[in-house]
Amino acid sequence: MTLQLEVANLQKRFGGLVAVNDVNFSLQAGEIVGLLGPNGSGKTTVLNMISGALQADGGRVVFRGTELTRQKPHRIAQHGVARTFQLVRPLPTLTVAENVLVSFAFGRYRHWGREAEKLVEEKLEFVGLEGRGRERVGNLTYIDQKRMELARALASEPSLLLLDEWLAGLNPSELKTGIELVQHLQGAGITILLVEHIMEAVRALCTRCIVMNAGQIIASGPSAEVLQQKEVILAYLGDDHA
Amino acid sequence: MPTYASLALVAVAVSTLAAAPFYLSDYGVGLLIGMSGYVTLATAWALFSGPTRYVSLATVAFFGIGAYTVAVFSETLPYPLVLLLAAAIGGTVAAVVGLSTLRLAGVYFVIFTFGLAELVRQTVTWWEVNITGTLGRYIFLPFEGRHIYWQLLALLTVTMLIGWLIGRSRIGLALKAIGDDEAVAAHAGIDVTRTKLVLFVLSATIITLVGAIQAPRWTYIEPSIVFNPTVSFLTLIMALLGGPMRLWGPMVGAVPLFLLFEWLSANFPNHFSIFLGLLFILIVFVMPNGVLAKLEGIRKGAAQ
Amino acid sequence: MFEHIVNGLVLGGTYALIAMGLTMQYGIARIMNLAFGDTIIVACFGTYLLVSAFALSPLLALLILVPGAFVFSYAVFLALMQPLVARAPNREALEVDSILVTFGLLFVIQGILLVIFGGAYTSYSYLNVGVNVLGTTVSANRLLAFVMALVFGGALMFVLFRTRWGMMLRAVELAPESAPLYGIDVDRVARYAFAVGGALAASGGVVVSMYQTFTATAGVVFTMKALIVVILGGKGSLIGALIAGIVLGIVETLVAAYIDPGLTLAATYAVFLAILLFRPTGLFGSAA
Ligand SMILES: Nc1ncnc2c1ncn2[C@@H]1O[C@H](COP(=O)(O)OP(=O)(O)O)[C@@H](O)[C@H]1O
Ligand SMILES: [Mg+2]
Repeated sequence: MTLQLEVANLQKRFGGLVAVNDVNFSLQAGEIVGLLGPNGSGKTTVLNMISGALQADGGRVVFRGTELTRQKPHRIAQHGVARTFQLVRPLPTLTVAENVLVSFAFGRYRHWGREAEKLVEEKLEFVGLEGRGRERVGNLTYIDQKRMELARALASEPSLLLLDEWLAGLNPSELKTGIELVQHLQGAGITILLVEHIMEAVRALCTRCIVMNAGQIIASGPSAEVLQQKEVILAYLGDDHA
Repeated sequence: MPTYASLALVAVAVSTLAAAPFYLSDYGVGLLIGMSGYVTLATAWALFSGPTRYVSLATVAFFGIGAYTVAVFSETLPYPLVLLLAAAIGGTVAAVVGLSTLRLAGVYFVIFTFGLAELVRQTVTWWEVNITGTLGRYIFLPFEGRHIYWQLLALLTVTMLIGWLIGRSRIGLALKAIGDDEAVAAHAGIDVTRTKLVLFVLSATIITLVGAIQAPRWTYIEPSIVFNPTVSFLTLIMALLGGPMRLWGPMVGAVPLFLLFEWLSANFPNHFSIFLGLLFILIVFVMPNGVLAKLEGIRKGAAQ
Repeated sequence: MFEHIVNGLVLGGTYALIAMGLTMQYGIARIMNLAFGDTIIVACFGTYLLVSAFALSPLLALLILVPGAFVFSYAVFLALMQPLVARAPNREALEVDSILVTFGLLFVIQGILLVIFGGAYTSYSYLNVGVNVLGTTVSANRLLAFVMALVFGGALMFVLFRTRWGMMLRAVELAPESAPLYGIDVDRVARYAFAVGGALAASGGVVVSMYQTFTATAGVVFTMKALIVVILGGKGSLIGALIAGIVLGIVETLVAAYIDPGLTLAATYAVFLAILLFRPTGLFGSAA
């Protein structure tokens, strides 16, 4: 096993609120690890610091031996870390294909022209949007926008993918497809950090889980164990989500 | 790839425009100079401000820098070198402005550019009064109206060509993505600050050149003439009226507004800024994306 | 030296006052008003008119111009800003729209002033006598200007920090999204904040006109200075605006005295550049 990502003593404050407090964990290549916890526990903030959207107040992020801590988001993307957003963020004036093309054009291997167009078509097909490239993103349903966003993240050809509740809001059959998609990505060798509330998905996908509460990691380990513990934790914290 | 037909069309249009001075009076050539100047200004402005939505209010700062550079150096340096120097100075000022503001939120950029023309005007005035001891300067260059017009036409053609190339290139895609959502653009791998900086410097350099090329028209120059804030304002209205997101938008807005402005300043010399201000407010309310977008919307509406 | 510090304090007091007005408009009403400085200039000319044509004292002019500016700003907000607020999908879009519309408004106001008063430097003489302050001579009008800036600034602080209404304003400033949850009508608060900002600008204009010359086209410079003070002080921080205003006033006065009066705007910009490069959140703003 090779070390892919190492997060050490990560810290983030918003005014008086300590949103992330001394968070430590690491990911091995090819793993899918779940990042769980109630709303407001700091999961998105952790993803934001790994991807460079926010500057950490303390601690380090090391990705495949490279320090990412104070790097800008575009550098981090070019190093091979991609992300989706908890609330989808399509680029509204661009077409579906252009949304995906952006990541191919500026991501890790910078494709352009015919070749890039072909790659975009492949990615759209992979997420189930074949033939819809010319549509405006605004015309897509919420679920299709989520697919598009996954395609866009994959188009920067990452080796680490940060998914922020990407499966939330899917109906049961969509969820099944979604889980299969993520499994495919693992098959392609991508390491995944998965922020997720849907236990079914976590059980199906994650080998390990990390549980956060109030900015701190309160449990971590193999999924089966952690999820069992989680029952206890939920009873203790109160269940504020499905 | 452009079709040969459209290439031929552009060639015919440019050569017709180039031949126009031979058939027009001096007054007509004067109008053409003003018009091609403003079309170039508006197009260059929209190159950066259109897709990124960073409203630059500093057009006349660069325009004036161009004009002043010509006034100062036209007697000591050969003309092409003066143009190069003007472009270099304008580009450097833009780089300083961009480096200090474009990594921050858009509003800092707007604020910085808002007062920039006044800053440059006051500083140049101070310099001229205290260091060189002259406020006004004369420009003696052996240019007739049509020479200036041809230069502007060439600059406009190049500007349009640049705009067209950008629209088809990676950087064009990057600009559109930045205009939509900077954070998403950055996470997709775009160096947001550098992209904005490059485009702002390019746009400002073209604007500086417009000022430099037009300078000989005045013969006599002083800061209050070349740093007139109306230039920034007009450029902005023109680009917005036509639609700053499209290559042809600024031109569509600039031609009628320039004629209107000419008419207003001839007939209501004291009131035109009131009219223009009101018109501008109206444009922002009625067609915030410009005429071209409006027409497209109407056409789509009719088709449904 | 001491004389310049005193003059700097006077100027700084005025800057702090107008910057507070801008903070009300930008920080609370969320409108970037590029015509802000033109409200100041209108008040300058209004005072000039009342003093020279009707022989009123500037203090009485205040009683007319400040409520007038309140009503005018309220109307501007209702007519021009409210529709923009309603149609804006997000904060950024509103910012761009308000910048554009107020840029247009600036030309309208400036055009009207030019038609009525022309483009020349204007001033009037009021209380132009020297007063001895701690050993240096300061003109009485400056002293009065300083006292008035203190009174207005103090009154605003009192309202903001000691009244229910002020608490509502600050709630909207700090948490515009959650303020409605506490039963605060954000739109109403924005309207009043914008109007109060305009009234403060007018009071600043009256104060400025007592000791400085002004022109119809000087609005841009006042807007710039107010913006720079707001940024230097940290967006939304009134105490910050107070201190930053005084800092800018002293810097300008010293530059004018020891280097050259023609370079004050350059000095202002140098301060601005320094904030942008080293501390964009301002001296007193929290790092977000
Ligand atoms: N940009 C921000 N500014 C201020 N507070 C924030 C910001 N982002 C997140 N927070 C706060 O930090 C805490 C953690 O939020 P977040 O990471 O989004 O939690 P989660 O993703 O686990 O639901 C919350 O209390 C949230 O309100
Ligand atoms: Mg979250």
